[in-house]
Amino acid sequence: MIDIDQVRHVYPGGRKTAPRTALAQLSLRVAEGELAVLSGPNGSGKSTLFRILTGLLRPSSGTVRIGGYDLFADAARARALMGVVFQSPALDKHLTVIENIRLQGALYGLSGSLLTSRIEEALDWSDVKTRLNDKVMTLSGGLARQVELTKCLLARPRLLLLDEPTTGLDPASRRSFQNTLARLHAERGMTVLMTSHIFAEAENAGRVAIMKNGQLLAYDTPGNLRSKLGHEMIVIRSNALESLEGKLKSEAGVVKLRRYGDELRIEDVARDACLPLLERLLERHRSDIVSIAIKQPELEDVFLHVTGHHIDPLGNDAEDLVA
Amino acid sequence: MSVNVAIALAGREWVRFIRQPQRVLGSIGQPLLFWLFLGSGFSPSFKPPGMGEISYLEYFYPGALLMMLLFAGVFSCITVIEDRDQGFLQSVLAAPVARFSIVAGKVGGAALIALFQCLILLVAAPMVGLVPSLGGAGLLLLGLIVASVGFTALGFGIAWGMNSTSGFHAVMMVFLMPLWMLSGALFPTAGAPLWLEAVMLINPVSHALTLIRAPFYADVPQLFSNGGYLTALAVAGLWAVLCLAFSLWRVGRVEKGI
Repeated sequence: MIDIDQVRHVYPGGRKTAPRTALAQLSLRVAEGELAVLSGPNGSGKSTLFRILTGLLRPSSGTVRIGGYDLFADAARARALMGVVFQSPALDKHLTVIENIRLQGALYGLSGSLLTSRIEEALDWSDVKTRLNDKVMTLSGGLARQVELTKCLLARPRLLLLDEPTTGLDPASRRSFQNTLARLHAERGMTVLMTSHIFAEAENAGRVAIMKNGQLLAYDTPGNLRSKLGHEMIVIRSNALESLEGKLKSEAGVVKLRRYGDELRIEDVARDACLPLLERLLERHRSDIVSIAIKQPELEDVFLHVTGHHIDPLGNDAEDLVA
Repeated sequence: MSVNVAIALAGREWVRFIRQPQRVLGSIGQPLLFWLFLGSGFSPSFKPPGMGEISYLEYFYPGALLMMLLFAGVFSCITVIEDRDQGFLQSVLAAPVARFSIVAGKVGGAALIALFQCLILLVAAPMVGLVPSLGGAGLLLLGLIVASVGFTALGFGIAWGMNSTSGFHAVMMVFLMPLWMLSGALFPTAGAPLWLEAVMLINPVSHALTLIRAPFYADVPQLFSNGGYLTALAVAGLWAVLCLAFSLWRVGRVEKGI
């Protein structure tokens, strides 16, 4: 559905700023019907990639095809396939909910009874049905997001692009939005690509892409990504991090020792070896350890693992998570 | 389909305008007060050569109409900057919409708002003894449409790339106010210094003014046999086309990497 091939994007510099490479030869394919999440630290190139996918920005080189149509050469056909939910609300606050929805319908060439039936269909799942004649500025953040999603569904898109759609929502609204999205994806068989840095959201995704410094570092199912870190790991907090790190390196059974911020992590420990190792470490280094725990790897850990150890090929200054 | 998109976008402009009564009031009030105060103040001393017994209120009336048209149209385009700022524009740009529909919708909507305000002020025309013939009224409307589309498109094209409404305000005031003042709206061209007369000749606003003033005083056959009127019509028409082309070019440009 989405075929990004060797896309490079360099922002032109100003008088005092040098040109900045945001995407470096990035290639990514999202298959039809997939729910993919694009994540990465701030400045990783997610937003640039998203703007390119929505056709608002032309890359320096490389091609983007949506459903087989070149996004820039065949823009109208490619755009007709997709619905976009932007990070900043794309609603007219002065218009009512239904006016916003109708306007969107007109943009996609819908009118008359077709538009009416599409509106019913699009509103089917939402909670805004009773607020249709209210101005958008009176809605809560969660409801406004629902209006955006409704708007996008009008044209029955085969591809839904969402840019951090749950930013600014409270946890309950976020969960409800996620559930809705998952249900729509399952029921309508749409392809969904969503950027997010909330890892709980990525757990339900078919595939997760992790970007950093304009490159794709990993693109796989959440399960496969987690298995990169082995089965379990030991996480240690200490107030003498440096000396403890030195001591732990010589411990038997400690193969992969890494430091993330103020934590030490022993990754990739064999399944049954975790508890004995933990007990042994605690016995020997009790005074250096503030807390110690066994942890199943989560996507966030994969993210740390993948992005924290990457050598920057672009020379951009990046805030490495590894001290 | 692209016509429907333009109509939908223009309709949105209209609804937003009507829902902000202070905008309606402000844009009608300013030229009205301008006209009444300046007109009443200058009338006793206004004796232009070769213009007979014309009161300044009457002389200034078409100028006030034009002022309203210019400022209402151009400043309606400020909403382009707001739309971009608030995110609305991105959903329009991401939709499979012809770029011309965006220009036509936005410019059409803003020009419609300006025309509506003009029509309100037109009610005052008989009070200063300005009653056009039926054909004249038709040409007056044509003149108002051509002028409003031209200057609104100019405002749109300039507003498109800007990210601050105050910046747009400043640019347009520096640009529009002198053009309007030198159009013959405030004082007649005849008797002005030669350089000023030359500026007035190439000023598109003065041609727009001719399109608005002349139909009050002459009928259709007279106007169409008048070289000055036809020139004004051609210049103002060309100006509108150029400004629309400029806007279209601005909208069609997609930011590109290097």
